[in-house]
Amino acid sequence: VRAAIPWRARNHARNRGGELEGELRQIDYVRGAIAIALCGLAGCTSDNTLTFAAALLPGELSVYRAVVDDFERREGIKVDIVAQQYADIRRALAAEAIAGSGSLDLVELDVYSLPLAVQDVAVLRDDEVGDPLDELSAAAVRAGRLDGLRFLPHRLSWQALIYNHAVLGKPPETWEEVLAVARAHPQQIGFKAALYEGLTCDVLPFVWSAGGSGESFADAGAHEAFRFFAQLAPYLHAQSATFKESTIAEAMARGELLLHLNWPFVMSLYASQGLAPGTIRSAPLPHAPSGAAPATVLGGGYLAIPRKAPQRQKALRLTRFLLSRTTQLRFNRELGWFSPRVDIADDNGSPLLSGFEAMRDRIESRPERADYPHLSRLWQRAFRAVVFEHADPGEALRKAQRDLQG
Amino acid sequence: MKRVDVVAITPLLAFLVLFLVYPMLHAIGMAFTDGTAGQFPSLENFRSLWRDRLFWSAVLGNIVLPVCSVVVELLLGLALALLLTQQFRGRRALRAIVILPFAIPEIVFLTIMRYAFAPRGYVNAALLGVGGAPIDWLRPGSALAYATVVAADAWHVTPVVFLLLLAALTAIPEDIGEAAKLDGAGGWARFRHITLPLLQPAIVAAVLLRGLDALRMFSTPLVLTGVEGVPVLSSYAYHQWSDYGDDGAAAAAAVLLALLSLFLSAPLLRRRVGAWESVR
Repeated sequence: VRAAIPWRARNHARNRGGELEGELRQIDYVRGAIAIALCGLAGCTSDNTLTFAAALLPGELSVYRAVVDDFERREGIKVDIVAQQYADIRRALAAEAIAGSGSLDLVELDVYSLPLAVQDVAVLRDDEVGDPLDELSAAAVRAGRLDGLRFLPHRLSWQALIYNHAVLGKPPETWEEVLAVARAHPQQIGFKAALYEGLTCDVLPFVWSAGGSGESFADAGAHEAFRFFAQLAPYLHAQSATFKESTIAEAMARGELLLHLNWPFVMSLYASQGLAPGTIRSAPLPHAPSGAAPATVLGGGYLAIPRKAPQRQKALRLTRFLLSRTTQLRFNRELGWFSPRVDIADDNGSPLLSGFEAMRDRIESRPERADYPHLSRLWQRAFRAVVFEHADPGEALRKAQRDLQG
Repeated sequence: MKRVDVVAITPLLAFLVLFLVYPMLHAIGMAFTDGTAGQFPSLENFRSLWRDRLFWSAVLGNIVLPVCSVVVELLLGLALALLLTQQFRGRRALRAIVILPFAIPEIVFLTIMRYAFAPRGYVNAALLGVGGAPIDWLRPGSALAYATVVAADAWHVTPVVFLLLLAALTAIPEDIGEAAKLDGAGGWARFRHITLPLLQPAIVAAVLLRGLDALRMFSTPLVLTGVEGVPVLSSYAYHQWSDYGDDGAAAAAAVLLALLSLFLSAPLLRRRVGAWESVR
């Protein structure tokens, strides 16, 4: 358009003789207006505006915005926060990487999608990140080092046992006690057993707790966990086969469930419904009969700078701000997020999250391997074969091991 | 074709190319691209579907659900249309009530249905209230879950069939029926030999309209039972895209759904075209 208008203007002016100057001035106005309109349509940002895509809930956005306002005032850099779901952020990131240019300066990604986004984000030098790196949980940082430091933990999350305190009084502490609850209250224990990553997050803690690695279907831990699942199967809520985070939380709120595993956000949900901490509470995961202390899966959001980020240095400044102690303390106090910084205690006085806090030292990363999505699906299929199709646990695990190796 | 015609249809053609043809070709391209190796053409996405049991359940669901839904909706719609062409008090109010479900936004209706059929939902509460036992209406994979999805869909969409048949019924001249009555034909004979043949074009139109729509069924099974409960190809494609981020498998499932729709709707379309030709 910019090229076409002067050409048309010159031709037009040449044809009409003497009005060249006035015509060109008018054309300039039109060109300016079109450029502004196109810029607005295309979402153009100036050199002083950062575009940050983060997975924020509507309720979180206003608090987050207020925190980022401080950064804008201090640094004189405007930040455009685009609140999207993790899957949409990952797709936008991939699209920009394919296009070879983009507008995203900083993104927040789900820990599960980090291996999938490795090629689309920049490697960061430790010295670029600076001070916050020393204060971040070493395990959480390790999960972000994929072929170099690419992802920095923004907020952490992990699962705990959600139980009905009003009915059970105290939560089951061992697998045997879970079975006892199941037998006494059939159909009132649920798993998030739809075919998706959430099921793997429910399965791995049991495998780890029994001493399994999570990377092999052949070890004793995997077999012990799956024998437990087989014993539990007849007593599970029938709709476990389709439950995900939100639907299982709904079923618990309706009183259909007494126990399930979930992420911290459900406790805020129950609190808003007047169900927590009176009726519904959180507790540590139960112990395996022969295993180590129960472990839980690391979840949460990680920050990354896209490979084609227009303003890498400014994005790094925002990253340092977001990971600073002051900012992380505000996220912890005002949003209830678990901080990846080791110098911030999680205990903010709320009884809602006591079960989660008790699990903080027992967080494990999912297996860090290139074929993790395939491995994860095999865990899901093996669980569903044992629990819903009544397959023999040993046979289901042997089949999964063959599929993994094949 | 005149130049003015070309100018007039250009925006529509551009719209179709941009928003229909290009995305369709892109989806077909994705379906035949191996996402891991980046190889095109490849059948890898179709091979992965072939090995997935959920995919085959979805194929079955995509045949069973539309057939059952259309049959139920046709029978209900016809019965309601026959009833509401009779003269009686309150007929107008009843017609409005019958159409009402279709006016409810889909997500509102589905949320109501989910709360109604949940294990501790309104329907089971009513059953308990009259001394009955609760029923697991939405037990994943059960015949009852399929029936519940069909019933919920029928409740929402039967008004469309009803309206089509009602319009056709009111267009049948009354004197044909009266003449047959004078000749001694009973109610069933009049329905079978007069009403039904004259309704046939409307019935074919209703089956075509609802059949094609039912093949694309998505939100009803997804919201009521999740992807695994009562799978259909569109919810399976959504599952591959949303839960696994596997765009290639999702595109392959979508392509197969399109082919299945074409294959199943071809006889109906042929019949419909035949009907148009005979009218001309």
